[in-house]
Amino acid sequence: MEFFAKNIIPGEVLVQLIAFLIVFFSLKAFAWKPLQASLASRREKIRSDLQEIEEAKREIERLRQEYGEHLQKIEDEARAKLQQAVHEGREIARQIQDKAREESQAAFAKAKENLDLEVAKARITLRREIGDLALRVSEKVIRERLDANREQDKVLEILDQLENTL
Amino acid sequence: MENYSHQIDSAAQTLVNPTEAHAISSHGAVHEAHELPNWISIFTSHFPDHPASDFLHRWENVIFSLTIALFISGVGIIAARKKNRVPQGIQNLCEAVVEGLETFVTGILGEAGRKHVPFLGTIFLYILFMNWFGLFPFMKSPTAAWSTTLALALTTMVYVQLTGMMGQGFTQVKLPFFKRRFLFPAYLIHLMGNPKGIFGIMVIPLMLVLNIILEFGAVPFSLSLRLFANISSEDRLLLNFAELALSSKFLAFPFQIFANLLALIFSLVQAFVFMLLSTVYIALVLPHDEHHEHEEIVSGHAH
Repeated sequence: MEFFAKNIIPGEVLVQLIAFLIVFFSLKAFAWKPLQASLASRREKIRSDLQEIEEAKREIERLRQEYGEHLQKIEDEARAKLQQAVHEGREIARQIQDKAREESQAAFAKAKENLDLEVAKARITLRREIGDLALRVSEKVIRERLDANREQDKVLEILDQLENTL
Repeated sequence: MENYSHQIDSAAQTLVNPTEAHAISSHGAVHEAHELPNWISIFTSHFPDHPASDFLHRWENVIFSLTIALFISGVGIIAARKKNRVPQGIQNLCEAVVEGLETFVTGILGEAGRKHVPFLGTIFLYILFMNWFGLFPFMKSPTAAWSTTLALALTTMVYVQLTGMMGQGFTQVKLPFFKRRFLFPAYLIHLMGNPKGIFGIMVIPLMLVLNIILEFGAVPFSLSLRLFANISSEDRLLLNFAELALSSKFLAFPFQIFANLLALIFSLVQAFVFMLLSTVYIALVLPHDEHHEHEEIVSGHAH
């Protein structure tokens, strides 16, 4: 009991108690609360920042994908257009070829027609000339009647020759 | 002649171990040196008749406590006033300390323990600095006096009990011979030792007395005695090693340094133990979601 009495001084206990309470309440109000609040707010900020970063990353990934798709689409379109152009070019080439062939055929046909016409004309002219010639030959033959029999073979030969040339 | 030789004897003893000699020669005197001299003890021994001496000697521990209180409050408030997003210097230090204490307390009490961090943290830092203060030259550990530690332990006890009273709320209890349920403060049930069945109800008075003695007496007693005994013996150790170093012409100086290191570590350990036990006491009085258990407990064998 003496030990207790010597070591525990009620007044001091009371004053120490009050002192501690003052320290506690002042620290709680002016140090702990703000510090804890600032820590909590920083924690919250870091968390939300990280979340935002995560979202931004996702957004970037999405944009990249979109961009890639877009690029792919453009490439596809370009290829399709190129192919279409090639196709069109071939078509045009074929058309031109066809047209050229047609024209050439037409020209050929016309030339042939002209030729036929010319041949016919020539034949007519020739016939007339043959007639003329025959008349003239017969005139000559008649005129030279006396030695006609002698010349008859010659006339026939000439006629044969003319026929063969036509 | 005999008287004279006794005086010599006593003087020799004083040289070797002044504490004991002092204690023996001045039995029942006002001053008794258990620890290294501090500025107040030096002042009072040099100017015993000075009007301030009596006051200073009487409030020695309180004066040192208040010094530390001012120091902690000053540092804490200065640190809390800075609100930089990126902490630096003192703010960084204090936030690290707060964060560490928060992690520790929430590790034991869970997320609900965050609101007990100010109390437990203040207890820890206050005790820690009071313990360490004895290592400073001409200063004293106020925790080497039982009055100081008892004040802290009583505050802790009241805090713990208030937390228990307010935190546990009410619980529905079914009493035997009654059809309706009664609302009882869970705290009281806790004090009655969570009675189970008819036997539990019978031992309620015993449990009540036991728990009240335990929670209102033994807890602050053990908390305060442990801290006081540790720190005061630590201070005696420091004094004895200092004396040893002096009397051995500084041959024992390495031992004194060792004692200082030991005191440094033990002070930290004691402050930590005080906080840890307070945290555990809070954990014990916090609700553990066993309200449903209570309902069936008391009604158990009643039917």
